[in-house]
Amino acid sequence: MSKKRSRLEVIHDILEAIKRKNKIIKPTHIMYKSNLSHKMMQSYLKELLEKDLIKEINDSGKGKTFSLTQKGIEYLDQYKKMIGFMDSFGLY
Amino acid sequence: MVHFNPLPSWILNYTLFSEIAFAIITFAVCLYSFKIYKLSGEKKSQLFGFAFLFISINYFLQSFLTLAALFKLEQNICSLMKIQDLQMLTLYGIYSHLFFFIIGLITLVYMTLNIKSIKTYILILAISIVSILFSSNKIYIYYVLASILLIYISFYYLMNYTKNKQIKTLLVLIAFLFLLFGNIHFIFSINHQVYYLIGHFLEFIAYLLILLNLFLVSRK
Repeated sequence: MSKKRSRLEVIHDILEAIKRKNKIIKPTHIMYKSNLSHKMMQSYLKELLEKDLIKEINDSGKGKTFSLTQKGIEYLDQYKKMIGFMDSFGLY
Repeated sequence: MVHFNPLPSWILNYTLFSEIAFAIITFAVCLYSFKIYKLSGEKKSQLFGFAFLFISINYFLQSFLTLAALFKLEQNICSLMKIQDLQMLTLYGIYSHLFFFIIGLITLVYMTLNIKSIKTYILILAISIVSILFSSNKIYIYYVLASILLIYISFYYLMNYTKNKQIKTLLVLIAFLFLLFGNIHFIFSINHQVYYLIGHFLEFIAYLLILLNLFLVSRK
């Protein structure tokens, strides 16, 4: 059985899913790609919007979609450093 | 670090340099932890950041007092703080050191316990602070208590290393072991300057290792 993902890893998986979909993605895709329940995904999306890591785009043709902000791109760049820090200081 | 007897100026110079270095290193660790907390919301990062913030405040205060001792500024500080007695200033300095360092270590221990209970945290804190305040020899009790906490933290990092065998985890484990050995040396330093110097040297190596780890992590 795989170990429970940390918040850092879940956020990374969501942002990575958005990045792989050319930085624009529908909520259902986020749910599948990041392996989250609907409830959990809603909670994470709300938090990521508040933290300005993603932004919501309301396109009448595509419905509700999400894209990465500059801060979100920076998060992905910094992810390995953050994981390294947390690993070394036992913050899991 | 705590010292009762007047120390030679070269020791004060060395102490001042090392305390400023410790304050900066621990503050850098604190800032990095808060940065991770801000991005991820990981509670452990926040607690770790607070632990290092308290430790950093302790070293900033200590370096300020060492600076005052080095440049014989105690009288000026006393009049500025409206303190009559010079010994009171030393006492305030010692208590602030004990207070912030112990809070820092307890916050670190609380983080490793993986529990969400502010009551537990306050209880551990209250027991520790009260046992120091009401003991006849506060400094000894403080060092013994800090050593116990550091033994526990070192054990946690030993477990962390066995789970995740990397250079970074090994560096952190060795750093906390050096902090523990340094702290044990400080127990004997109250009457012996040699132990004081050894304790400081061990502490210096510990923080250098933490700095090295921070460098390795952030250069990726």
